[in-house]
Amino acid sequence: MNYDCLIVGGGFSGLTCGIRCQGAGLSTAIISAGMSALHFSSGSIDLVGYDHERKIVYRPFEYLEKFTGAAPDHPYAHCGVETVRESLFFLKDVLAAEEMEIHNNGDENHFHVTGMGTLKPTFFSQRSVFNSAISQAFARKAKIAVLNFEGYRDFYPELAITNLLNNSLFRDVEISTGKLVFPDYGDPQKNPFEYRSIDVARIFDTIQYLDEIAEQIKREAGDAEFVAMPAFIGIQNYKKHHQILQMLTGKLIYEIPALPPSILGMRLDDALKSRFAELGGVLIAGDMVKGGDFRGGLLDHVHTQNYGTARLRAKAFVLSTGSFFSGGLVSDARGIREPIFDLRVSATSPRSTWHSPQFLDRKGHPFLEFGVETNGRLNPLDAGGNPVENIFCTGALLPHYNPIREGSGGGVAVATGFHAANQIIKACG
Amino acid sequence: MKRIETDVIIIGGGATGCGTLRDLALRGIKAVLIEKNDIASGTTGRNHGLLHSGARYAVNDLESAMECIAENRILKKIARHCIEDTGGLFVTLPEDDPGYHQKLVEHCRYARIDCEEISIGKALRIEPNLNPAALSALRVPDGTIDPFRLVSSNVLDAQERGARIFTHTFVTAVIQEGSRVTGVRCHDTGTREDFEVYGQVVINASGVWGQRICALAGVELKMFPSKGAMVIIDYRINNVVVNRCRVPSDGDIIVPGDTVSLIGTTSKKIDYSQIEELSIDDSEIEVLLADGEKLIPNISRTRVLRAYSGVRPLIAVSGDVDGREISRGIVLIDHAARDGVEGFITIAGGKLMTYRLMAQMTTDLACKKLDSSRKCSTHREPLPGSELKSMPGKHIKFFSGIPQSVVGSTLYRHGERVRQILSLSKRNYALICECEMVCEGEVEYAIRHLNVKDLVDLRRRTRIGMGPCQGELCSYRAAGLFARLNVATSAESNGMLVDFLEERWKGMKPILWGDGLREAEFTHWIYQGLFGLGDVNLPGEEESL
Amino acid sequence: MIDLENISFDHCIKCTVCTIYCPVARVTHHFPGPKQSGPDTERLRIKNPELLDDSLRYCTNCKRCEIACPSNVKIADIIQSSKWKYFKKKFRIRDYFLSHTDLMGSVAVNYATLVNFFTGLPPVKFLLDAVFLIPSKRTFPKYARGTFRKWFRKYAQKKQAAFGTRVTYFHGCFVNYNDHSLGKDLVTVLNAMNIGVDITRERCCGVPLIANGYIGKARKNARYNIASLQKAVVDPGSRIVTTSSSCAFALKYEYANLLEMDNSSIFNQLNYITRFIYDQFQAGNAPPMKPVTIRAAYHSPCHLERMGGVIHTIDVLRRVPGLELQILHSECCGIAGTYGFKKEYYDVSQKVGGALFKRIERVRPDFVITDCETCKWQIEMSTPYKVLHPVNILARAFER
Ligand SMILES: Cc1cc2nc3c(=O)[nH]c(=O)nc-3n(C[C@H](O)[C@H](O)[C@H](O)COP(=O)(O)OP(=O)(O)OC[C@H]3O[C@@H](n4cnc5c(N)ncnc54)[C@H](O)[C@@H]3O)c2cc1C
Ligand SMILES: Cc1cc2nc3c(=O)[nH]c(=O)nc-3n(C[C@H](O)[C@H](O)[C@H](O)COP(=O)(O)OP(=O)(O)OC[C@H]3O[C@@H](n4cnc5c(N)ncnc54)[C@H](O)[C@@H]3O)c2cc1C
Ligand code: SF4
Ligand code: SF4
Repeated sequence: MNYDCLIVGGGFSGLTCGIRCQGAGLSTAIISAGMSALHFSSGSIDLVGYDHERKIVYRPFEYLEKFTGAAPDHPYAHCGVETVRESLFFLKDVLAAEEMEIHNNGDENHFHVTGMGTLKPTFFSQRSVFNSAISQAFARKAKIAVLNFEGYRDFYPELAITNLLNNSLFRDVEISTGKLVFPDYGDPQKNPFEYRSIDVARIFDTIQYLDEIAEQIKREAGDAEFVAMPAFIGIQNYKKHHQILQMLTGKLIYEIPALPPSILGMRLDDALKSRFAELGGVLIAGDMVKGGDFRGGLLDHVHTQNYGTARLRAKAFVLSTGSFFSGGLVSDARGIREPIFDLRVSATSPRSTWHSPQFLDRKGHPFLEFGVETNGRLNPLDAGGNPVENIFCTGALLPHYNPIREGSGGGVAVATGFHAANQIIKACG
Repeated sequence: MKRIETDVIIIGGGATGCGTLRDLALRGIKAVLIEKNDIASGTTGRNHGLLHSGARYAVNDLESAMECIAENRILKKIARHCIEDTGGLFVTLPEDDPGYHQKLVEHCRYARIDCEEISIGKALRIEPNLNPAALSALRVPDGTIDPFRLVSSNVLDAQERGARIFTHTFVTAVIQEGSRVTGVRCHDTGTREDFEVYGQVVINASGVWGQRICALAGVELKMFPSKGAMVIIDYRINNVVVNRCRVPSDGDIIVPGDTVSLIGTTSKKIDYSQIEELSIDDSEIEVLLADGEKLIPNISRTRVLRAYSGVRPLIAVSGDVDGREISRGIVLIDHAARDGVEGFITIAGGKLMTYRLMAQMTTDLACKKLDSSRKCSTHREPLPGSELKSMPGKHIKFFSGIPQSVVGSTLYRHGERVRQILSLSKRNYALICECEMVCEGEVEYAIRHLNVKDLVDLRRRTRIGMGPCQGELCSYRAAGLFARLNVATSAESNGMLVDFLEERWKGMKPILWGDGLREAEFTHWIYQGLFGLGDVNLPGEEESL
Repeated sequence: MIDLENISFDHCIKCTVCTIYCPVARVTHHFPGPKQSGPDTERLRIKNPELLDDSLRYCTNCKRCEIACPSNVKIADIIQSSKWKYFKKKFRIRDYFLSHTDLMGSVAVNYATLVNFFTGLPPVKFLLDAVFLIPSKRTFPKYARGTFRKWFRKYAQKKQAAFGTRVTYFHGCFVNYNDHSLGKDLVTVLNAMNIGVDITRERCCGVPLIANGYIGKARKNARYNIASLQKAVVDPGSRIVTTSSSCAFALKYEYANLLEMDNSSIFNQLNYITRFIYDQFQAGNAPPMKPVTIRAAYHSPCHLERMGGVIHTIDVLRRVPGLELQILHSECCGIAGTYGFKKEYYDVSQKVGGALFKRIERVRPDFVITDCETCKWQIEMSTPYKVLHPVNILARAFER
């Protein structure tokens, strides 16, 4: 099998890269061993939310202009701030083509509410999380009702509201709670108390229940103009059904990301995969790249678990295999490795330096900053320290940034995927 | 200041203290127990959980060995749901002294511990994951014991018989009138209130902390703490206790404990000032895993869930230094006789599995002081939950509709009390902890009936957060339930959640690699990345959304 | 006793992704999903086999959970092996008949007309339902008259010697007993590509045996098949093909992962047919095709998805001129081999397939195309459309 561009890892970064390459006319395949981190993410795309003192960054691009100068190894520095910006708006267009509305606050970050009622700065959000009507309502200090299904085990409005009210922004806002009851499914087998967000999303996807839910929302929300619910308002028909619900209730309906699986993240995943397929890209799911052979300092082909000895060839290869979580990096008691090609990684030793003393340490954990060492083109280094010019590493696999502490996970995934694609397109074109 | 009157005051809610509380209650004597943290949060909750047959001590310490086998037989009757009669093996590996095998056989015979020599083939049938290179094997009546359940059911029974217990309450002073101890002053860390308890007898059952309690009473008792580390692996890799057949040393026991297996232990002297903050070195972990692997080779392929350590409270009766050499004999001190301080007893040493005997000895002494002639019945009276020999089939049928794995796990943890916990309401059996099958009904029961004040307590009663995910999904759910059940405010629930995750982190840090690291990355993403839990106390931001 | 062959459950990080993608958990709460049935409770079963949940039986072994899992947990394998390790074996005549396809087939083909007639009769269906717990709503696949092997020996074998390159064809039970035309079409297609076809001794690949817990018998068949096929591929250049995606999946993956047999001697040389044709096309062996003017909807079977073979089928079909191909969203059809033939699962099976059937109706194709025979039965029973195999299409395009 032969492609122009073969991408290992179908997460946020691999998909962005694949869509860009395939869209530019390169024959592109993505091999992915399992579902990616998008299934757990908030579904908002964080560019950079905090500075090195963990103070909130309001104008991310301005901040990055300064910051990348001081941090030349940071993935954003490799891309350059202009490319970062370009990549994000490329992504916005891609999602628009899939009829997914993404909103940003101009060049500034906005906040979204978390399941614990804290506020997180982010750059792009879905319509049910950020849009102008929502920010106006917040500014007006409109009354909020946080609603939840009775007995739903993955969201506890009580906890969130306490923290929200502690925030000066919400100090004079009136927040009420209310309980919804799952519509009668006609299926006595179901145990609604064990529903996950996905089960609830499927209820919202079914048009016949919307009227009943809307009635309940109206009743429970009272005169609140703003209704917040855990993010489970539909997965396939979310866009239409969210609008219908707003219409039926006459209220703004806001989604709060809750425990995994993340419906907001899965919507992104769906949209990106569908875009890639429509452009003609090949997605090979459930297979794992096991290794490859090099020729003349370049990667010649890779082989996978399912295809056995068959060789998958390409002009350029992208490694978007994620961090430890997704298997892009592996660790044992002695050290850290990149498992497919044993590429050079940036990590500390001994093991006791991998983590911080507190779990919720504000400095984050060093292991999140480990990854495959690359040059500015994102080419990794072979054993001899020379760059492999037809491999590009992107996303969470990269070192020298801490996605959680900086609030930069999605942005780095998109920007580096895009940056790699640009170079591949140039090389192949 | 609030004042409580009782007959006997017990300091320390470990196995010894709680066992004593129950013994007193069974004898109809009023008692109050004060525990600074949670029951079983001291050494009792930080050991190997081995229900010794005594074989391990047979060669070096015959007295302990005989105590063990006697208590072993009793506990198998009265604490059915807290112990598992797995049986145990002693195996000799090629590098071990082959002579020890014979010595052990002889000493066991002397101590009347059933000890059967079996072929390697048979040993491998009993324990398929055993190192096939083993040279010889012995079978002994070892078992496992769950300290959390054991202590919790002792307390449950005592409370149902009128005893009182205060957890998360420190004893800050021992009140004396002349040469007589008459009570203790306490500080409740939850309400931050001080109160006093008065009684005729004060029992110091505070384990390794006993030296400090003695000091509060103006008595000197020196203790040499010796730290032991253990690692927990993800699943139950062995079904019977596997011991190395050699002079007791590091890393030579693997105990199957509920859904996991535990490898232990090391032994290291520490300074008395270090007993609160126990650290675990990489070298200890390496020793444990390397030695564990020799007994069960598959261990090298298995995920390590946690590492933890406990301190053995060794009392300076002889001038001994090394933790393992001296007998872990039971030390019962009547301070009236030893130091001229009336109404004060110290009980320490011994083992988890001799807790009942220790409690009996202590209660006997207390009774003498109270002039009571009531006899001990703890060797006959089964603990709540252990009244009947549990037959899973019966319960599974009774609760048909609830997954067998849920019924079975609840039954395993609470014995016959399962009937008070589960119900056929869907809400009741919805799972909160998906690794250890803890359902909402069990959480609610524990919170309402088992002296649970926070998430860590809840973990000790139910195993919530003790499985492979170490609390990834369930800690948020359980914290939410505290608020939903109105037993804590939302702010308190938030605080509990943070504390719980930090408590889990302590045990994960030393073994943070492989799948454990992946799990930690995921959990960190959820709680910090997605929930911003670390920012909960951040002052509000000024700019608008 | 703890059997530690499959300890992949140990890698599970409890992310719940598998449960999102499980088609059964989606339609019935009787099945708590792959996470709970697989890695979660496997830990408990290791501790105590009595903690076995009956609900495990609902798993169709579609493997969609494994495709989704980011931790490479062999979830479906864990569930299947738990089914046969821990469930007490109850002999059920129905399960025996449904799973011993070669035995049943070899009898039925001799009385094909009769058997087909009877299994179609309402009273018989009622009986099957009441006594054997085979739902009366289910239509039975028809048996063919005689076996494919007989036909092959009589009419095709001689001509094959003329070809320089030959491949071994593992035809499987379906072609042998139910639908000769697929086997015949395969001979047509390969011959048109200038490749000869051999057959060798084979037994049922074992898929239905595995599903019904006849693991001993499945192992026996596996041993037999590996030994027989091994002989056919001593030369590293030789190839084995199957026209059943499920047979290919069993021979390549279930043998190794579930039955713990060493099939490495045939692994790389054995492939599902479209993969073989794809490779031939890539290598330039692509004879001209004539247009077929068909509007078809393509359904990708679960096991082909798991093998990563869907791209080959699609690529091959896309080269057929005139074939207007609509790729259906990848979804389980619900039959899962013998699963949909059992009364207790019939409703679940139909509910699982519901989404797929709706999609097909929306497309209104001339035909549905799929690679798997049981998917074919399910779709033909549940929609008004006839289902073809990719090889049927190619045969039309290559026909002279
Ligand atoms: C719980 C969670 C919450 C998050 N929340 C946010 C958020 O709110 N905002 C935000 O901006 N970002 C968030 N992120 C981060 C963001 O989603 C990730 O940083 C980003 O998705 C990383 O993308 P990636 O493509 O580099 O890697 P991943 O998404 O990890 O994808 C890697 C893919 O590669 C596959 N793979 C690995 N090895 C192989 C192999 N050998 N062969 C084939 N395939 C392989 C994996 O199976 C996986 O599908 C979150 C992440 C997590 C885990
Ligand atoms: C590594 C290791 C492995 C072991 N393995 C086994 C084994 O396999 N089998 C076995 O039978 N035994 C084993 N033991 C021994 C066993 O754990 C102990 O002997 C037993 O748990 C001691 O129980 P205790 O109640 O006396 O003490 P503890 O459990 O320590 O109880 C003392 C309690 O007092 C409380 N306390 C202290 N100060 C105060 C205060 N000021 N106010 C209020 N409360 C206070 C503490 O919080 C604590 O909960 C092991 C010990 C170690 C260290
Ligand atoms: S194999 Fe299919 S039915 Fe079985 S658990 Fe996995 S996804 Fe569900
Ligand atoms: S997808 Fe894999 S890792 Fe996630 S819960 Fe399922 S088995 Fe576990």
